[in-house]
Amino acid sequence: MAVTVATRQGLRTASVAAITTLLVAGCAATDGNGGSDGGEQATETITSCGVEITTDEAPERVFAAYQPAIEMAYALGIEDRLVATAFINNEILEEYAGAHAGQPFYERVPSRETVLSYEPDFILTSAYRLYTEEGIGSRDGLAAIGVDTWLSAVACPDADGERMAELQSMDNVYSDLRQLGEIFDVRERADELIAEFSGTIERVEEAVAQANHEPTLAIARPDSDGFRVTGGLDFSTEIFEMAGGRNAFGDLDVSGPHTVSTEELIKRDPDYILVDTCCGPELTPSDAEEDVEAIMNDPALANLTAVSEGTVLEFGFPDRWAGVRAASTVESLAEMLHPDLVG
Amino acid sequence: MSTTSTSATADSGSRAGAAPSAAGLLPAGTWVVRIERFGFSARVYRQALVLGCVLCGLTLAATAVSLTLGDFSMSVTDVLAVVAGEASPMLTHVVVDMRLPRVLTGIGVGAALAVSGMILQRLAHNPLVSPDIIGINAGASAAAVATIVLFAGTTLQVAGGALTGAVVTAMLLYMMAYRRGVAGYRLVLIGIGLTAMLSSVTSYLLTRTDIDSAERAMIWLTGSLANRSWSHAATIWLALAVLVPVTLALTRQLRLLQLGDDTAAALGGRVQSARAALLFTSAATAAFATAVAGPVAFVALVAPQIVRRLLRERVVGMLPAMACGALLVISSDLLARTAFGPSELPVGVITGVLGAPYLLYLLTRMNRIGHG
Amino acid sequence: MTTHAPSSVIATSPAATAWSRWSRFRRWFAEAVRGQGLLHGTWSRSTGLLVATLALVAIALASLLIGNERLSLHEVHAAYFAYTGSDTDLIVLHLRVPRTLVGLAVGMALGIAGMLVQGVTRNPLGGPGILGINAGAALAAVVAISIFGATAVIGYVWFAFLGAALAAVVVYAVGSIGAGGASPVKLALAGAAVTAMLGSVTSAIILRDRASLDEYRFWVVGSLGGADTAMLGHALPFIALGVLLAVALTRPLNALAMGDDLARSLGVRLGIVRALGGVAVVLLAGTATAAAGPIGFVGLAVPHIARAIAGPDYRWILPWSAVLAPALLLAADILGRVIARPEELQVGIVTALVGAPVFIYLVRRKRLAGL
Repeated sequence: MAVTVATRQGLRTASVAAITTLLVAGCAATDGNGGSDGGEQATETITSCGVEITTDEAPERVFAAYQPAIEMAYALGIEDRLVATAFINNEILEEYAGAHAGQPFYERVPSRETVLSYEPDFILTSAYRLYTEEGIGSRDGLAAIGVDTWLSAVACPDADGERMAELQSMDNVYSDLRQLGEIFDVRERADELIAEFSGTIERVEEAVAQANHEPTLAIARPDSDGFRVTGGLDFSTEIFEMAGGRNAFGDLDVSGPHTVSTEELIKRDPDYILVDTCCGPELTPSDAEEDVEAIMNDPALANLTAVSEGTVLEFGFPDRWAGVRAASTVESLAEMLHPDLVG
Repeated sequence: MSTTSTSATADSGSRAGAAPSAAGLLPAGTWVVRIERFGFSARVYRQALVLGCVLCGLTLAATAVSLTLGDFSMSVTDVLAVVAGEASPMLTHVVVDMRLPRVLTGIGVGAALAVSGMILQRLAHNPLVSPDIIGINAGASAAAVATIVLFAGTTLQVAGGALTGAVVTAMLLYMMAYRRGVAGYRLVLIGIGLTAMLSSVTSYLLTRTDIDSAERAMIWLTGSLANRSWSHAATIWLALAVLVPVTLALTRQLRLLQLGDDTAAALGGRVQSARAALLFTSAATAAFATAVAGPVAFVALVAPQIVRRLLRERVVGMLPAMACGALLVISSDLLARTAFGPSELPVGVITGVLGAPYLLYLLTRMNRIGHG
Repeated sequence: MTTHAPSSVIATSPAATAWSRWSRFRRWFAEAVRGQGLLHGTWSRSTGLLVATLALVAIALASLLIGNERLSLHEVHAAYFAYTGSDTDLIVLHLRVPRTLVGLAVGMALGIAGMLVQGVTRNPLGGPGILGINAGAALAAVVAISIFGATAVIGYVWFAFLGAALAAVVVYAVGSIGAGGASPVKLALAGAAVTAMLGSVTSAIILRDRASLDEYRFWVVGSLGGADTAMLGHALPFIALGVLLAVALTRPLNALAMGDDLARSLGVRLGIVRALGGVAVVLLAGTATAAAGPIGFVGLAVPHIARAIAGPDYRWILPWSAVLAPALLLAADILGRVIARPEELQVGIVTALVGAPVFIYLVRRKRLAGL
């Protein structure tokens, strides 16, 4: 048991260390998860969460599911290869709005038949449950009918099909970009993005390293029972750390949204409360306005630092994910937390 | 129309000596051999057979339509090409590995629910009793949701969990309802209590997980045939292959039970054990259906009733009831996956929304003629 | 269990003592339920009620003190009389006190609503949940959230009313058709049927709307965690009106308990009594469900306990239900706050897990057919 805990901690430490190394070394680090040979030859195969994909011919009919994967595809500029997209929790990033407008799009993952009716030759996703019986079928089954499947390295399921929260790392985001760059023959664009993201994060981390205080943040949304917050295993915890802050609920051993009582929020008293909204393809951070008002005007919360300082803020639900948004989230949070050091 | 039922009620007493009244539950052949008042019963036999054939024919037709229609559009010639083995791998996959197992699972589930409902209604002397109401589904649901939420189980693991939950609930139900015999009303009321408790457990589990698991659990809870594979079809058909003959073997005892508790009490323990055995067979049949498809609402309750009304008899033929259940499920599923856009509805929503008015009609009608 | 060995022999084993005490308690309780109640005469009933009220006050105080942080009586007192605006003051004023008051109001509403349902339908298994009121309110709340975008309780309280009322009317209408009126089994079946039907529609809506599903799954368990002063202010008038109606109905209910014919000969207008009873039930149970979500079994179990203590006179059952129900609800809420620290177990879960066995016990008892 102790071993398991140690391993888990070790993994987290390792991934943090890996990021640091990576940042120091530019982007020379090899693929952390995929087990790719790291070579540049186009005819090689790459391994996506344990499934081999040959890269000699770039896919032409791609079905993309789940916002982080879809946005990554747009970031790589491969929107002309997409036949349809699905499963979006908030509005697509503004810079990809044009790319997205041209796609057939489903708010949620449609039925397996609908996906197959596009006769895709490739499916890419960062939703770890997509390739299950409830989703659109197993990866082996899809391969048997000629559909290659790719799963983001941040979403590789463990042996029981469960999500592994510790895979949420920038390291794996870069590995994703590199793999997709190879598959779709857009390696240069992938390298550009990696350089951009890691450069931003490196700059921010260097700047906030000199900070003499570490403000606490919480992603919190009011619900009928109290507040929905994100716990320690969520990638937000790492994003806050990179930006020179700390997750006020970082010690909670949970990933994803988790409800705590109002009294618990008062006890933790975060310096910043980030309010997100979920889930709908038209939702933007500004849809959190009502909830922000509710927190600001709740007499029980009047003593909260965030309320008295006016630091209850609207926040994009997908901004805290390990994906193409993370670097700019780190940057803008750092500008907010340490305006004297960053910006 | 109300005369049908009332006269049938009176009949069952007067026919006690000849004892052929539960004959519709027996396979047709057996029935004819055993019969004494041949003329009367032969009529039932013929009607049941004809109705069974008609319903089976409709089920076959619905199956054919189900194989052709769907979000992956194809023509009849495409389907024929698949049969001939000349279609593309993807087309073949859609027909052979998706639509066919799905519709076969649907047929099995409908048939199983109908058998289960038919037996329960008879055990409780109440046409409104079904596995939905006596808590078996609630037990299966709580266990299935636990499997989804706590262990992120695969579909087959969820099915296993549901099965366990259903069996444990049925045992609890029987133990709690047993008090010098199992009276129908006590069974029903204790079932309602168990349902309430178990659904609160289910609700609790739904708050302890992320939205994706909650959604997956909600879809399961509504009853769905989406993405059911050959293993599901095999599971339910194997269950039917075992449980239907067992049920048939037990119907001789069921026939005695139909005479009412007072008469049957004279036969002592054998009747009690027959009740227990039938309750468990029925629970197991419902449990397998629920395990593979989730709690598909109202089919168990409505299918035997429709057949009973069509036969204009108190007895319900097992074959027609099974065919009716199958037809209800697969036609509802056809509607559920084609009529509501790309993200299909679970079949349970359709059976629920269509079944409910019929159920209320039954309730008012039954109350008016003084059952219950 | 049945043999009465000399107590000195049994007393050697603590388990045996406990068991014989439990058997004695069971016999005593069974007698009480069957007979005229544990307490006889105005004096003992009033004294008993006073004691019960004091117990309720104690539980309410405990509800103020026990929670995420344990508070002292002094701190609660200070929040009102030496207000400094500290965290403790705010927690007392805006969280603990509203939560306790909402618990009191909702508990009282559920207890009295249960009593009314049981009295009007002369059905020992009547309760808002059994009547489909919860399912009706739930569907209406989902419609409000999903279609009309309501986010606050105030947004869907009217919907919940309407849903609760419609469901209750349908269940009662279907369940009371035919000879013998609304028999326990008929009503229970009608309630289960309507609940199942409304549940299907609710599923259909939330499965096409993730945001609604996300709100619904937390609402449907029933919780006092979101209680605030505004909600209390909104709910109180309705509950007060319902309680007044219930008080006015106690005498007719007593007459009704003797049977329709006798009640009619005593000058009770059955139709009006039933209609007013229905209105009161919807006011009480509808508001309670809108404020705290569907909370099961309080309305079912408490009137039985009240009847066991105070006998069959509704003029006594009402105050006893009004005191015992909030006591039970608040006790369950406190339990839920303590049992799963640092998280909270919603009160609806606790009451269902405690209440369902009570229900099953009642069903297993032989004398069930009527009141």
